[in-house]
Amino acid sequence: MARRVPWALTAPVGLVMLGLVIVPCLGVVLLSVTPGPNAQPGEAFPTWENYRSIFESRATRQALFRTLEISVWVTLLAIAAGYPLAFFIARQAQFWRSVLLAVVIFPFLLSAVVRAYGWNVVLGERGIINNALVGAGVIGQPLTMIHTEFAIVVGELHLLLPYMVLAILSTLRGIDRNLDAAAQSLGASPPWVFFRVLLPATLPGLLTGTLLVYSLATTAFATPFLLGGTRTPLLTTLLYRHAFVSFDWAKAAAIGGILLILGATFVLLHRWVGRGGLNRLGAEM
Amino acid sequence: MTDAAPTLRPRGIRLPLPIRLLRLLVLAMVVFWVVFILAPLIVTVGASFTSSESPMFPPVGFSGRWFRQAIEYDWFLRSLTTSLIVASCATLLSVMLGLAAARALARHRFAGAGAFEAAAISPLIIPSVVVGFALFNVALQLGLQDRSMLNLIIGHAVVTVPFTMRSIWTSMASMDTGIEDAAKSLGATPFATFWRVTMPSVAPGIVTGAIIAFTFSFNDVTVAIFLSGTTTRTLAAELMSQMEYLPDASPAAISTIIMGLTLIFFIIIDRTVGLDVFARK
Repeated sequence: MARRVPWALTAPVGLVMLGLVIVPCLGVVLLSVTPGPNAQPGEAFPTWENYRSIFESRATRQALFRTLEISVWVTLLAIAAGYPLAFFIARQAQFWRSVLLAVVIFPFLLSAVVRAYGWNVVLGERGIINNALVGAGVIGQPLTMIHTEFAIVVGELHLLLPYMVLAILSTLRGIDRNLDAAAQSLGASPPWVFFRVLLPATLPGLLTGTLLVYSLATTAFATPFLLGGTRTPLLTTLLYRHAFVSFDWAKAAAIGGILLILGATFVLLHRWVGRGGLNRLGAEM
Repeated sequence: MTDAAPTLRPRGIRLPLPIRLLRLLVLAMVVFWVVFILAPLIVTVGASFTSSESPMFPPVGFSGRWFRQAIEYDWFLRSLTTSLIVASCATLLSVMLGLAAARALARHRFAGAGAFEAAAISPLIIPSVVVGFALFNVALQLGLQDRSMLNLIIGHAVVTVPFTMRSIWTSMASMDTGIEDAAKSLGATPFATFWRVTMPSVAPGIVTGAIIAFTFSFNDVTVAIFLSGTTTRTLAAELMSQMEYLPDASPAAISTIIMGLTLIFFIIIDRTVGLDVFARK
């Protein structure tokens, strides 16, 4: 085959991505080191002032730690929920398999706004949980669940759980069902089969799912916007507020820069995992 | 598919108690998480039919008043129309871009193919808020910040290219290249070869990619909120900004309408290519 670059086929997407995604994102990085509207008179072009000032504000530091903390919780819960779900789906016969797959995938396609609204109705001050608990006399005052970190964790878990299930499922598909039957018939106990046969085989999917869920949790926007409110800002909702409420684009760009670094970490980790990093892990098992 | 593969364990032998308890535990966890996944959706649909002022579940009575109320908002039909126009145009553009990129990657080996692929999927790698903010800055630099419809179409076309490219690439990779050469050697023009030979065999990939792109555009808010204007907003973005001012059950009715439309796309995917496209690597 020709090694010549097929320009007619690559140019459209190449130019569009370069012009509308890559260069503008570099532009955001440039903007983040450009003196902003509130800059001191002496500030020159490459300046850390925007980063310094956002880290000086307690609210932003809190938002950064809250973002990371919530993402860790969401990822751990997604593993705890995703593994049994994927495992169970993979072992079902055609009918239940399709039903459960539909249950996982339909919300996956549905707007984050609609899903966050649903959690608002469930967790709200006069939502169904509070109504039920107050009605049953368990609590006197309704619990404050909405606009808390708890609500964001629940909402993001609901948003990202399908990614984990699908990532694990894609590796379980490749495993011959007779593999564990064979192991069992040779005298292996089911827990042994799970830890020595199934878990190592699904490790790539588990790692992909973990990295994907963690990075999407740190960069989710609509869910924390609607479930966290203004009381519990995360990095993404702060970026939006700097861009459209206080119109301080230099600060918005600095937060964008931090989010880009978090995103890049994910890509590098993923490449490392794909390139023998994982095999090394597998060999140690 | 590995459905209902026969196990080697003979039937009738009872498993030891701890194993049966373990299975019960797994089943209980699965039931819990299925309820977790479905709860907000069922509650929303239920609450949209309430006759009470605020969203209630189980609904108080049964009424269509919140659907009538939703349709009467001046922004409802306007933003629904915007959503459908944006999703259709963005999907068309995205399929054309994705088709060219998939063809390049599936049929040619060239220097820099890896970099090209990375660039093509960059909207998936870069956080959506940053992409939205960056696109907003581009519109601003070009003085096009008020052409919201155009910005939304281009923005959604760009961020859906990874989906269309991947699904078309998958169907191209499994296609027999020999038939293209056969058509050419029999005297077909390159255009005829592409249109009459290549297209029919990559059509499933195009359909899958198009439905996923359309559904993504229809449901996206992260990019849409940055590119929407004051009157030109997609339905999901409009719902997001109106929601906090609407304590009644009308957002539940609008959510139910969005769910209904998404269900149609979902059924189309299921019937045409099957849900397994999502569980593939």
